Amino acid sequence: MDQKSAGLSITIFFCQQIDPNQDVNRRALERELGKQIRFFPLPCSGRIDPLHLMRALESGADKVYVVTCPEGACRYREGNVRAKKRIAYTQGLIEEIGLERERLELIVTSAGNPVTIDELARELLAREASIGPSPVKGKYA
Amino acid sequence: MITAERKPIAEIKEMLAPYRKILVVGCGSCVAECASGGEKEVGLLSSALRMDAKASGKEIEVKEMTLDRQCVYEFIDQLTDVIHRYDIVLSLACGAGVQAVAEVFPKVLIVPALNTTFLGETKEAGLWVENCRGCGDCKLGVFAAVCPVTRCAKGLFNGPCGGSRTERCEVDPDVPCAWQLIVSRLEDMGRLDLLRKVHPPADWSKQQGKGPRKIRREDQRT
Repeated sequence: MDQKSAGLSITIFFCQQIDPNQDVNRRALERELGKQIRFFPLPCSGRIDPLHLMRALESGADKVYVVTCPEGACRYREGNVRAKKRIAYTQGLIEEIGLERERLELIVTSAGNPVTIDELARELLAREASIGPSPVKGKYA
Repeated sequence: MITAERKPIAEIKEMLAPYRKILVVGCGSCVAECASGGEKEVGLLSSALRMDAKASGKEIEVKEMTLDRQCVYEFIDQLTDVIHRYDIVLSLACGAGVQAVAEVFPKVLIVPALNTTFLGETKEAGLWVENCRGCGDCKLGVFAAVCPVTRCAKGLFNGPCGGSRTERCEVDPDVPCAWQLIVSRLEDMGRLDLLRKVHPPADWSKQQGKGPRKIRREDQRT
């Protein structure tokens, strides 16, 4: 079963440099899917912090993606490299409380195959659901 | 700066297990600089604890607070109106901060979330190194501002030991030989003469071995 059909709540932090029209594109998908998807555009994926990822999971996301530019193509030089390290750190933290590290995933876009954020999100939603609903779902306390 | 590292969450959970209302208190000074006990780390740990409780069907309440310093009464006093609402305080301060809070609130249970490690410097982003033992008898003036007690693996006052290779310590090749640094720096300053003096073993009884040390300055007291 794919992630959309499984009803998984997906949160996507993404570098807005990957899609110049991200504002329009993501809003269209947000309207279509409602609470199942939440987008957080970032000026650069290097802005992502482990705290953002933890709060997203705590707020009820079943799966959190961080979408970056291709390595070597960051407008701010190494933001995407930092994002990768912070995801790895947070994966270690959630493993300590028994959550699967797969709940956080890095998506590095391809330089040769640019996509809009809604296209990418649809691809992610169509992926096989390898994890179930989060056991920590609930309102952020 | 005092450095520290977070304890494993399993160890923290064990300390908190019997309690429901938890106040997580960070410290905005040294441990914030070394990314182990500042506001952000309080948020990360609190989130983790809340999620862990929810996943295991346990109801807990976790409140986050960060003081500018946990080792000075004027800042600790900010807890006065809130601390008694909680069953336990999880402190993300160094050992000094944990004990300072405990002393101000003798009836409140306070446990540490960090392992205090050493006095050090931020060498580069994400790298902290020990460079002071707080021995109470600083000889940096003689050793070109490189502490042989801390930075030489053998703690030699009269080095070098002769075991270094390519200016690296034979005990740990990742570490520069402290005595190589001392000699090079003194050479650059034209003060190699300082090394003519033979230093007797440190008299640790000056400060160590007498229980907790104190600094008392009348001009600072009220």
